[in-house]
Parts: sequence; structure tokens; C-alpha cells
Amino acid sequence: MNFQKVISGFFFILAMTTNFGFFYGDPSNIDYHSSWELFAAIVVNLIATILKLGDKTQLGSVLLATSLVADIQLIGAASVWALAVYVLGGLNLESTVVIISMSGGALLANIVSVLLFIGDTLKSKR
Amino acid sequence: MESNSAWIIIHRMRIPILVIIITFAISIIGLMLIPGRDANGNVYHFSFFDAFYFVSYMATTIGFGEIPYEFTYPQRLWVNFTIFLTVIGWFYGIGNIVALVQDKKLARELAVARFRNKIKKITEPFIIVLGYNNVTREIINRLNSEGIRIVVVDKDETKIEQIELENYIPEVPAISADTTKPATLKIAGIHQKNCKAVVVLFEDDIKNAKIALMCKLLNKRVDVIVKSTTKENTEHLRNIGIRHIEDPFKIISDRLYFEITAPYIWLLEMWIFGHILRIRKREFLPKSKYIICGYGRMGHALASALERAGIEYVSIDIKSSDYKKKKQSAIYGDAEDIKMLMDAGIKDASCIIAATKDDMINLTIISTAKKLNPSIYTIARENSLEDISIFKSARVDKVYILERILAKYTYNFIANPLANKFIRLIHKKDNVWAMNLVGQLSATIGQNPDHFEITLDEEHAYALWHELQNGQTITLEVLKRSRHNWQKRNKILFLLYEYEDENGRQTILLPPDTLEIKPGAKLLIACDEESRIDFEYIISNYYELYYVRTGEELTPGILGYLNFKPAKAS
Repeated sequence: MNFQKVISGFFFILAMTTNFGFFYGDPSNIDYHSSWELFAAIVVNLIATILKLGDKTQLGSVLLATSLVADIQLIGAASVWALAVYVLGGLNLESTVVIISMSGGALLANIVSVLLFIGDTLKSKR
Repeated sequence: MESNSAWIIIHRMRIPILVIIITFAISIIGLMLIPGRDANGNVYHFSFFDAFYFVSYMATTIGFGEIPYEFTYPQRLWVNFTIFLTVIGWFYGIGNIVALVQDKKLARELAVARFRNKIKKITEPFIIVLGYNNVTREIINRLNSEGIRIVVVDKDETKIEQIELENYIPEVPAISADTTKPATLKIAGIHQKNCKAVVVLFEDDIKNAKIALMCKLLNKRVDVIVKSTTKENTEHLRNIGIRHIEDPFKIISDRLYFEITAPYIWLLEMWIFGHILRIRKREFLPKSKYIICGYGRMGHALASALERAGIEYVSIDIKSSDYKKKKQSAIYGDAEDIKMLMDAGIKDASCIIAATKDDMINLTIISTAKKLNPSIYTIARENSLEDISIFKSARVDKVYILERILAKYTYNFIANPLANKFIRLIHKKDNVWAMNLVGQLSATIGQNPDHFEITLDEEHAYALWHELQNGQTITLEVLKRSRHNWQKRNKILFLLYEYEDENGRQTILLPPDTLEIKPGAKLLIACDEESRIDFEYIISNYYELYYVRTGEELTPGILGYLNFKPAKAS
């Protein structure tokens, strides 16, 4: 068993699942989406990104790219939330939908990343 | 990402960034969980934004105070804890960045990347010089002053720093690396199309051969200039296709041979290397008995020259290292030594050659010999360029400096390939032929003619090249005419003409005036300064070329249509 694989696999999948946890639910109702989960998704995604840094292989660079996409979308969602609440005077339907759909985009990137990771693991002979 | 330096940075920064992310996350979660009280005493919770904002300025020790409301004691307890947590995490990250700046591996990678970029930016042909020592320094100085681009690799870091302090213009990129490794040669740009030659002049023959072979394998088209002092090694190098092999001992042997048997050939050769075109009185070598002190590689080379020239000689084997060990001094000339010289017949010898590896012994051999036979002709080998002034003041008649000879030959091969060919061709001629040429040179040009070579292509001879491309026939004689008066001749003499086409290369020594010039031909020219300027004007300026060809002024543009003829230049 490769301990490093365990750690990175754990964070890659956790990034996807927390992301899914935030995304799941009625996209027009912010009550179904916890800000805590968004926070957790952002932190875990950032950690996953750092773990992907420094891999010089072709696969490593694609993995890093998917992670960067997820980071940007999740941080974007959080920024829209903060902007709506503190600058625009409260969440409305539009901003809610934007937040949720951005996290949905991040979820797609995370799914791609996990698929690639699993594919690579299956291919490996050790 | 091509460069390794970026990878090193990313790799080293992974853990610090992880630490910062995790400490931030813990601090933010704690702040949000602990209830605070606003100005009216109502319970409130930090929002994510507030918590992130607070932690950001706290961790970076900017510290704007407790906002949005003054903290409660439970909050302060937590903040107290997180200050240590995040600030330590942050400092750890900064410390790592500072350590990275000083990291040797990173500095090395950055230096390699810079070196690579510099070489990629070189658009003109360049030469790779391996090793920076007395010989290559002289080569680099000469080539650099001609504007030829050079790249230097040396194992020793301090030598590379020396090059950087030299302030060469154009710049000479240099890096310290193991010259025996293919990776080093690749970094130095051996694969680049404009890499013309590699200069390998190390002391060690085996090392030279190894590097030369490697260069040829990496790039077939590159010229390798390599030093080799033994016959077997030279043969081996020829077999792998290396054209230019330099053996300083063979060069000296040939020189001595020509100096004795055909002094005018020797003179022409030396003139190419910057000697004046006249043999000074003390440069004529005596032709009776020689004594060679020191019978190593140099001694053997000189002996073979004397043998070929049919001169009687006696050799005394003095090994500098053994001598110093035995006598505990580097001063030659005790009773035993004098007896040895007397036995060799110093009294009736006409010339003594001191050819050991030690400069001090060589000097003392010469002075001892002079004491015994004041009229003897003296030749000394000088081993290191540093002692040059001592040899000058010792009044040695002739000094052979291996390092300088090697440097001059290499420079000539790179910068003046035609002159190099000229030397090879005149070696096959005889003394009378050379004497006639010297006479002709000094009659047409004067006591101290200069020489240079030029390619008659679009870049160097714009007007001539275009006229030739248009199908005009122009002979060499036209190029000799004066710009001042076309019926007069400049002080100019063509030594070598070379033309290359599909049918092969054609090299003509002393081309006749009636020769029709082909575009792209190369010329080796002897002339004085003024004629050189005239010549360069004529081949690159339409009006000047037209004038020397026809004796008439070319009237351009509308004036030509009007058939307006200006007064002829007197």
C-alpha cells in the first residue's frame, strides 16, 4: 500500500464529495446549501491542489489543471456570496443560482479529476 | 514548464502552503463557532467573510484591531491561540522562501537557464571553447575583438567568475560544468545550427580525444579543433572524422625545419601571424652543429626537424623533474653540468636549444652555454606565459612559447581559414618561390603589408555581387584599380582565391589578374591600410565599381535620362 496514494486519494475524493454536498439541493433556495460546506469544499480543494503540485508527468499536469478550475469556481462562488450579502444588500434569486451553478462547474472538474486519478491507479501495476 | 528552477520552487513551497491553508482553516472555523456580542449586547456569529478578513490581517501581523465588534473573552482566548498558530505558519512559509533564494541547487538551475537563454539569443555563428586557461584566454581575446561570438565552459567556478569580470563585448556567455559530459555540451548549444566549432585544448590527450568524439557524435557538422601530441592519438582522431588536429610539437618541428631550409617560407608563415615581412639578422639560424638539452616530446620534435634538414646535432637528456630532485635546485650549470656540455661539444656548436619543461632550468642552460661559448645561438622553450618578461631580458635569440603558438594557430583556423590554407599551400613550395613572393609583396605594397580575407557575397560585396549575378564579367584586375584614377593600381596583391560550387572546391594560389570572379568566391588579400579601404569601397558601391570598370561616372536617375554629364573627377 502506498501511503502517499492514500493521502492524495483521500483529499481528491473528499474535495469531490464536499463539493457535491454543497451543490446538492434546490438551486434556487440558498437554505438547502450550507456555507460551512462551501468553506469545507474550498479548503479541501486547495489542499488537493497543493498535493497535485510538483508532478511532472502529463497526467499530473491535467490533474493540476482540473483542480485549479475547481478552485477558481469555488472561490468565485464564495466571492459572489460575499458580494451579494455585503455590497448588494442580500441574496436574491439570481445570485443564489450563480453561486450554486458555479459550485456545479467545480463539481464537474472534481469528477474529472477523480476519474483520471482512479484510471491512473488502475493502470499502475504496483 | 521547461526550466527546472520553477519545479524546484513549486516543490519546496508545497508544505509551507499546505501549513498556511490548514492553519487559516482552523482559525476561521474557531472564530465562526465562538459567539460574540455586538454593541448592544446581542449574540452574533462571525460570517465567513468577517472571519477570513480578520484571520488574513492577523496572520500577516498587520492587525487592524477587533472588528466588527469588540471581542468577548472566549473569542480572545481563541484568537490568542490562533495568533501563534497562523503567525508561525506564515513565518515558516516566508522562511522557506528566503531559504530558497539562497538555495545552491536553485541558483545553479537559474544560472543554467540564463546561460541557455543567452545562447538561444545568439543569431550569428558561435564557437564553444572548453576550458579557460592561458591558451584559450588568448584565443578568446582575439576572437572577441573580431566580434566573433564565443561560449565558454569550464569546470572551475572561479574561472567563470573571471570571465564575467573581463567585460567582453560582445558578451561571452560562460558556465561552470563538467566538460566531459554530453549534457554540458548540449547546454552550451552544440545542437544549434549556428554552432560552428568546438575548441578542445586540454593538457590531457585522452580527455581531448574523448570530448572530440563526443562532439562529433552530438553534431556531425561541427568543426572540432582538438589538441593532440602523440601520433597514435592523432591517427585515432582522424579516423573519427576530425579535420583540425593541433599538435604544438609538430608545429614547432615544421617551423624549425623551414626556418633552416627555407627561411622565406618561414617568413611568409610568420607574416600571416603578424611578423614584419623581413627577416631580421638574428633570425637567420646557423647551419652547423646543434645541441638539444631536454629530450622529451619537444626535444624529439626538434631533433626530427634537424634530421630532416640534414643538420648535425647532439642531444642531452635532461628531465626537469628528475634534475630538480637530484640536485635540489633548478639552477643548471654546476661542474658536472658544465662537463656534460663540454663533452657534447659546446665550444664548436653553433646553436643550443633548451627544451625542458622548466623555465628556470631553460634559462640557466642558456646562460651557462653563453658563458662557455659567447657566440652561440640560443633557442629556449618557454612554458608559461607568465614568465615572458624574464625571457625577454635574458637576451635569448629565439623563444618558443607552446601556449602562444597553439593560441595563434587556433585563432587563425577559426577567424582566417583562408590564411590557414595559404600556410598549408606554401609549405609545399620552395624557398626561391617564397623569396620571389616576398619580393613581390614588398615591391607592390611596401615594407609592412597587411592581410585580410573577404567573401564576395551580398553582405560583404554588395555592388560586385549584384553585377556578377547580372551576368557581368569582372576580372580580378578590375579590383586592383584605384578609386582615385582608374588607370592606376592600388597597392594590393591577391594571395589566394577560393570558389566552391557543386563540382567541388577550387583553390588557386596567387590567382592571375585575368581570372574571372565568381559570386560568393573568397579572397585572401595582401595590401596596405589605404588600399583596403579603397577595395572595400569598390566592391560595395555601385558608382565606384562602375567608375573603375569603365573610367566614367555613372549618372543616376533623371540626370541620366537628360544625358547630363558632370565634369569627370580628376
